[in-house]
Parts: sequence; C-alpha cells; structure tokens
Amino acid sequence: MNLFASKDDVIRWLGELLKEHVVIAPVRVQEQTTFQPISQVEDVVFDFNNTALSPKGWFLPPTETLFSVQRDDGKVELVPTKVERDAVIFGLHPCDARGIALMDSPFLQEPSDALYRERRSRTALIGLACRQAQPECFCTSMGSAPDDPSNVDILLTEGEDGYIVQAVTEKGKALLPKGLAEYKGKVPAPPKLEAVPTKEVVSAMRELFNDPYWEQVADRCLHCNICAYVCPTCYCFDMRDYADKGKVERVRSWESCQSPGFSLTAGGYDPRTTKGERLRQRFCHKLLYFPEQFQDVACVGCGRCVRDCPVNIDIREVISNLKQVTEAKSGS
Amino acid sequence: MGPESPFTPYLATLKTATQLTPDIKLLSVELEDPDIKAGFDYKPGQFALLSAFGEGEAPFGIVSLPLQKDGLEFAVRRIGTVTRALQELEPGDTLGVRGPFGNYFPLEDYVGKNMIVIGGGIGMAPLRPVINSILEQRDDYKELLIINGARTPQDLVFQPEFPTWMEAPGTKLELTVDRGDEEWKGRVALVPDVVKELAPSPGNAIAIVCGPPIMIRFTLARLRDLGYKDNQIVTTLEAKMKCGLGKCARCNIGEKYVCQDGPVFNLEQISQFLEQP
Repeated sequence: MNLFASKDDVIRWLGELLKEHVVIAPVRVQEQTTFQPISQVEDVVFDFNNTALSPKGWFLPPTETLFSVQRDDGKVELVPTKVERDAVIFGLHPCDARGIALMDSPFLQEPSDALYRERRSRTALIGLACRQAQPECFCTSMGSAPDDPSNVDILLTEGEDGYIVQAVTEKGKALLPKGLAEYKGKVPAPPKLEAVPTKEVVSAMRELFNDPYWEQVADRCLHCNICAYVCPTCYCFDMRDYADKGKVERVRSWESCQSPGFSLTAGGYDPRTTKGERLRQRFCHKLLYFPEQFQDVACVGCGRCVRDCPVNIDIREVISNLKQVTEAKSGS
Repeated sequence: MGPESPFTPYLATLKTATQLTPDIKLLSVELEDPDIKAGFDYKPGQFALLSAFGEGEAPFGIVSLPLQKDGLEFAVRRIGTVTRALQELEPGDTLGVRGPFGNYFPLEDYVGKNMIVIGGGIGMAPLRPVINSILEQRDDYKELLIINGARTPQDLVFQPEFPTWMEAPGTKLELTVDRGDEEWKGRVALVPDVVKELAPSPGNAIAIVCGPPIMIRFTLARLRDLGYKDNQIVTTLEAKMKCGLGKCARCNIGEKYVCQDGPVFNLEQISQFLEQP
C-alpha cells in the first residue's frame, strides 16, 4: 500500500528522526550536493541530481579509526571503535542503494567486517526515486532502475504536491510517521535511459584480458583516482598506524588500484607496474572478478566516474568496445 | 558492538629476538590469552600479520611448527618501517598478531615422495617449517634435498639448524652463495645453476621453490628442463596483503586473492591464472 506525505510531512518526519538517529542526507557544500550527517532539517536538499559522492562513506568512511592503542604502565590495550547510534540515510537514489547492497558481499562475508556490519544493521535507507536522468546515467543496464525499491527500506517518489511513500521492508514500516493517508493515484513513470550492451560482459573481459586495448585506453589516464572515490562500489582500502603525541591509532582509508604502488610489496615486487595493467585491474574487478566471486557486476550505472574523469575514460564506452573487440576477434 | 572485529590483533609478547643474518631476526612470540594461544592452529605455508603498534602491520610466514608449543616464530627481514620497528622490539614488549591466514603446503599429499626444497635469501622462511615437518615425520618421505642460496655466507638464514638438517637421515643440504668471502669454502653459484648441476630426478618428486622473483623464474626453467611437470613444482606467492581477509582487494593476481586462495600454489594452478605473477 502506498502512502502520501506532503513536503511539510517529510520535513516534520525528518525532524522526528533526527531526535533518535544520525540522519545522513544530501546537503549543499560549496557548489556540490553531497551526503552528510545533518544537524538541522532545513539543510536537506530535496531537488538534486546525482550527488558528488555516493553515501558509501557512511559504511566505509574515507578515513576511520579501527582501534586505538592505549598503554598503561607498559600494559597495552586495544580499544576498537564502536558504533554508537542508529542512523538513517535519507534521499539516496536507487543506484546508490544498489551500491551499498553490492558492498555487502565482501564486507559481510565471514569473517564479517564488524564496523561495517554494525553500521549496516543500525542504518535504515530511505530512498528517493529519480524523476530525471542525467546524461551519464545507465542504471537500467546495471540491474537497477530510477524507481527500483529493492535495496531500500522506504522509497519516496516525488508526485504532485508531495511524495508517494512505499514501505519496502519491516524496518521501513517501523520508521514511517503515523497518520499518513493512503495514496491511490498513479505513481509517475520513471525516466527512460539509454541502454549499454552489458550482455556477456564477463566472458568478454576474460577473453580480452591480454588485448592491447587496455594500454590504449590507459594512455590518457592520470591515475588521479577520482573514479574510485566517487564510485558507490569501489571498496579497496589501506590500513596504517597513525601516531601523534602519544596517541596511536590504526586507521583505515580509501585506496585505489589506479595508484602506482598500490600492489607494490616491501620486497619490490609489483604485479601491476603499467597504467594499462592498473586500468585493466579496475575494469576486471568490476566486470569480471567481482561477478565471478559474488554473481553481480560491480557497477550500478550511476555515471559518476563518467561525469568526473578528467580525461573522459567512460565505462559505458569500454563496455561497448568490449563487445566490438570480441566480435572483431571472432570475425562475426 | 557484536563479536570482535577481525581487524583487532591478538596481543602477544616478544619472548626472544635472535639475529640470524645482518638484516634478519628470528622473533619468538607468545600470544597473551591462553585460550587464543591454545586454539592458534596453523600449518607450514600459512602466514600471520604482525603489528608494531604505532608503525603498522605486515604479513610474515609462520616459520615455527604448531607442535612447538612455546611460541610462534617469524623471520623478519629489515626492509621498511614496520620491519624496522619489529626488529627494535625488546623481549617483553607487546606486539599484535592476526591470523593464521591463507592456505598451506599440502604435505600430506607428498607422503612417499622425494622432496626437493629450494630457497633463496629470506625465501627460506616459509620453507623452514616444511623442512622441519618432513624431518618430524622423516619416514613418511623419501629423499630430502635442500638447496639454500644467499647473496653472501652471512646471509644464509637458518645456520643454527644446518647441522641438524645435514645429519638427518636421507637428507642433503646444499649451500650456495652469490659471493663468497675468505672463510667460505662452499659453492659460489646461483641457485638455478646449482639445480642444473645437481639435476635432482623428477621421478616421484616434488620441488618446493621460494625466493626472489628472478631466482624463482630461472629455477623453474631449470626444473622444467629436468623434466619436472608443472604440478610437481610448488611455490608461495608474494603480494601486497593488507587485511588477510580478502576484503581490502589489494593482493589479487587476476581472480585469485593471494591472502585467501594462496599463498601456496603449484605451477599448474598459476599457469591458469588470467594475470601472471
């Protein structure tokens, strides 16, 4: 059953949620819209296209302390970071929700990542269906859709004079505000997107592993890593110790397989020394290794890497080229 | 929070640190919690992540045997900040241990075979528990040939154990160095050339090889020249292993995560990887 909430209802509801939860919502920061914990509901942006960063950082923060090292009279104690509060992510688009669902595979696989698991189980996702698509959007080719409710607890769809509210999970139902009227009208149709030919992409990746294509695409790569940081499914990380004024912490932070030295060992061995090998690693992880390990392609079609790459390396183009190169190879 | 995070190391105490070569120390480490110590079961070839708190964490092969109940041993070569900090620890100091991780040498599959163990430099570290396991169950295996190379005589890692290895029945220890010194009366030759010279027969044999990439590459070629099949040659791969849990996505070679699927592979398995190490 769909319910209806006016924008004022939603604002009041967020205010209520804010009393008991950390609320992470799209806000304007300088010229960008991005997800951040809010302190007041007035800061929430309702009308936005894809945010600068996906909300993955709530579950896998760009930098976080895993534990701190406390020394008392020579005795060492490790104090792990705790997740203190329940949270709500408000306004994430279906592609970003799918990104979180995909990150669950590596992080919840046993032995699960304790911080990720705790945050995930204590966070509700209130999605916002997309009424407009951006030129770089291709979620419908990647297993999702602008109105896909499957990875959120509640889905809101903007209608005339307010929002159509669909509680998807029991967790979502428990969060709904009281007193919303039933909505019997039509749900507006989602925008149509151009299709990217993803059929057989996994086998094409395997077939083209040693093709010179990767070095050609990588020629222009600046290894700036922006593709990894804006990606809702990139999850490579680094762990280092941070010591300052007697305070010692083990810190985890985002990393990218595009960085030179990402796979360099202390002994000087590095399986991926060229840009082409590193770029191939990025696409292989998304389109070959991840699906072989966890079934799904690790791309949600949000288009952020397409939007932000300074040298226009376009994953849609790569996927289309794979098809062309395999067809040319097989002579069809 | 629920169960312990898999990123929180067990606390351990450094019992002894023995200088093995100018840049390698043998650290003997005891886990503090008696239950964790009792439950810490591992096999030759597996590794652990050691923490020097304040500097970081790095992977090391466990070079002791599980039946040595007195502690875990690691051969740590000083090569960066974490290894320097580990080497600077004094007996009684606290360090962190996570593990054991990865697969191991399937020694039970090698029962009844001639064993050729070939190691260069710090590459002898993961081979030491292999050798000592074979010596523990000496009757289970046929001939044992150990070829151990290093840059100089001083760099031969497990010298205190050489007499035991040499005196064990059916066991030969062949030492070689790249550059000798005034006292060195042994071989001065590269490991692949020693393999060629000694020409151990591939019949009913398994060769386990570990060392620097260049030594491995030429040693494998010599073994193939001698008629060894890829499933008779076993090695342990080096990779950037940060988390040990297949999550940080840094140690993969092609579709294989070295920390989980490896580090031990035979050449037949490696030849099927998409990406070649």
